[in-house]
Amino acid sequence: MSEPIEEFFERLTRGGPDRLPGRADGSLRIDLTSGKTTERWFITRHGGDISVSHRNAKADSVIRTSKDQFEGMIAGTVNAMSAALRGVVSLEGDPTLLVQFQRALPGPPATGTVQRAAAKGRRT
Amino acid sequence: MSANIVKILDGNTFVVSDPRGDIEASLTDPTGLFSFDTRFLSTWVLTVNGQRLNALSVDDLQYFEARFFLVPGTGTVYVDAKLSVIRQRAVGDGFHEELTILNHAAEPIELTVRVDADSDFADLFEVKDALKKKGTYSTRIDKDGLHLVYERETFVRMTNIAASAPAAIDEKGLTFVVTLEPHGSWTTDLDVVTAAGSGGRFVRPKYRRGERRALPNMGRSLESWLEEAPRLECDDDRLRATYRRSLVDLAALRFSPLIAGGRSLPAAGLPWFMTMFGRDSILTSLQALPFTPELAATTLQALGDWQGSRIDDFRDEDPGRILHEMRYGEMTAFEERPHSPYYGCADATPLYVVLLDEYERWTGDRALVRRREHEARAALAWIDDYADLLGNGYIWYQRRNEQTGLENQCWKDSWDSISDRSGEIPGFPRATCELQGYAYDAKIRGARLAREVWNDPGYAERLEKQAADLKRRFNRDFWVADEGYFALALDPDGRQVDSLTSNNGHLLWSGIVDKSKAKAVVANLLGPRLFSGWGVRTLAEGEGRYNPIGYHVGTVWPFDNSFIAWGLRRYGFKDEAATIAEGILDAAGFFDGRLPEAFGGYERSLTKYPVQYPTACSPQAWSTGAPLLLLRTMLGLEPVGEHLVVDPALPRSIGRLELLDIPGRWGRIDAFGRGRIDVGKRRTGAKRTATSSTRRAAART
Repeated sequence: MSEPIEEFFERLTRGGPDRLPGRADGSLRIDLTSGKTTERWFITRHGGDISVSHRNAKADSVIRTSKDQFEGMIAGTVNAMSAALRGVVSLEGDPTLLVQFQRALPGPPATGTVQRAAAKGRRT
Repeated sequence: MSANIVKILDGNTFVVSDPRGDIEASLTDPTGLFSFDTRFLSTWVLTVNGQRLNALSVDDLQYFEARFFLVPGTGTVYVDAKLSVIRQRAVGDGFHEELTILNHAAEPIELTVRVDADSDFADLFEVKDALKKKGTYSTRIDKDGLHLVYERETFVRMTNIAASAPAAIDEKGLTFVVTLEPHGSWTTDLDVVTAAGSGGRFVRPKYRRGERRALPNMGRSLESWLEEAPRLECDDDRLRATYRRSLVDLAALRFSPLIAGGRSLPAAGLPWFMTMFGRDSILTSLQALPFTPELAATTLQALGDWQGSRIDDFRDEDPGRILHEMRYGEMTAFEERPHSPYYGCADATPLYVVLLDEYERWTGDRALVRRREHEARAALAWIDDYADLLGNGYIWYQRRNEQTGLENQCWKDSWDSISDRSGEIPGFPRATCELQGYAYDAKIRGARLAREVWNDPGYAERLEKQAADLKRRFNRDFWVADEGYFALALDPDGRQVDSLTSNNGHLLWSGIVDKSKAKAVVANLLGPRLFSGWGVRTLAEGEGRYNPIGYHVGTVWPFDNSFIAWGLRRYGFKDEAATIAEGILDAAGFFDGRLPEAFGGYERSLTKYPVQYPTACSPQAWSTGAPLLLLRTMLGLEPVGEHLVVDPALPRSIGRLELLDIPGRWGRIDAFGRGRIDVGKRRTGAKRTATSSTRRAAART
């Protein structure tokens, strides 16, 4: 298990609903393959509560990808939607939950300098 | 070529063929079977005994279904053809074609029937820009039929072709050896199914063999779509035809994004823009609200789910921003284009809040407004935190993706659309005026929702205060005092881009215009420099870049005019709104009720008919919506509390008009009106002052 992935899911539970905006309750399983092993993350959302475990259970949506790709996604270097279109990430089940989940992913590192400056100037 | 192409579609799958039903695409020729922005068939050619066929007639049965009647031989000798060929084609997840051959002779006949098939798997962007492919092609034949495959790394797209009749299949198509009895017939079903992803399994065709009736994927049939919409009764046959055309085209333009659970929203245009666009989907949903409110609900849901959540320069994404355009093709997959989705537009975000409020006012669906509180607040925050690039309280835009992003992020998005009187194009960032109007309206409407639905009066007050401040500054900074209108934009130094444009009408619609200034603005909108007799030009005659057939610099856009008419009603200018409604609806009559995206800005008295601007997409969603919004403005339909207020102001030429069973929070209500406004006088009036205006324009150059 890698540290950045654990930290990411830890932040997800701590952040509560703001980290996963949208209104749909449900469950999402993320299967991450690395060689012959598969690491499973099982996320449920009920009201404002988000919980994360390693249960291998049936979920409303399933994301399958390699651990490498997922590490890229949580670092902001891999865009989830493009990766899904390329077939690097496979998606199954309720797409609403998947779209909500990708909103919790960060943008690419070291970009957005123009906007950040503007936003800073405005917020006093 | 373009005049003779046949287009049928369902969702974002569509087939463009010639009148024989054949497809012979090249990299730049826009025919084929397309799905999710990829061409899955670029060759589909039918021959009988090695001969191509000729079209006798084509029936567009429904927007998703067509029937081609064909005969062998050259066009001139078909009269003694002994054979007829009928291709009936329906779009589904790919398409289904029923091919029938009839022998009219008293003798039996043996035929070799051949269908050539191939695919270049071009991305729509490649079709538009004529780009080369980077992956590899392969073909497979098995018991399920012919499989055309394209692969680039993990990206796999496949076309599967199968026939119900026995066929000899090779890598380039299917051959049938057919013996027809005297007066006999032969039929085969052909299924073409598109697939994405690896594995190569054959996906079940949508239309199982033996199933004769084609149904579209869109949830509701065309019949029930038309039945649910309000009924229009009127003296004017052309208006009735235009209304029906609009409803049918709107049904065809429905697009069901994967996240909408089978519900649909309006895509932007057919065939190249069958996808979700922030601006187009929102504005069309607004136009159609009194007729089909479900489009607005799906638009709010889908755009809300995809709201921006991070900073991403390649996609011009910010937290809270509403997307501009979503695409699913190869170039998007490999990040050669930013449409996954692309966020580079400055108006969809405030307009999202405008639609949310207007939707609630019509439908009373507060549950949806509660569910989307987070998105609405994030959209309102975007206006202040991310769009105000210069920190002076206006929405500014400047793309961060310099390679493939959009330069102009307002609806007038061509490169030369923003210019001053002398034709000078300003630098970036730019603050176009209508964006400030939308921001004002979003804040006012957001305040209403905060007070009435979200129970947050403090937030409502803050928004109202910001809106009042914005209105005060805007009426000072954008006002071109010597001419009595609002400047098109401010440049990065805060200077006015001072040309006279149709954007003034959007300002009336948003309510940002000081009451004291409205009269002068209206005089300009309906004056000879902007008003052509058909409608308001995008850019006024006499301005440096004015060109009556320039895309955003002189043409008349029906959608633009429908919002201008709404704005005129908002400020109480009923006669002027009726004048615009009559001009645009008259123009619709010249296009069999299907308004083009834009037509030439020539003076009406000069050309007598509207000159269509040549564009690739027809129907275009917001042109389709224009007659609907004009009906609303002519009848003066306005939800007030639980009621619908009807305050008709119709041009005399319309005569009697009844719109029956208008859906809303009141259940269903009928609206009646009778034409009493003499628009003709106004048109002549406009012409009379033309001379002085031309002189003024000449003096300036």
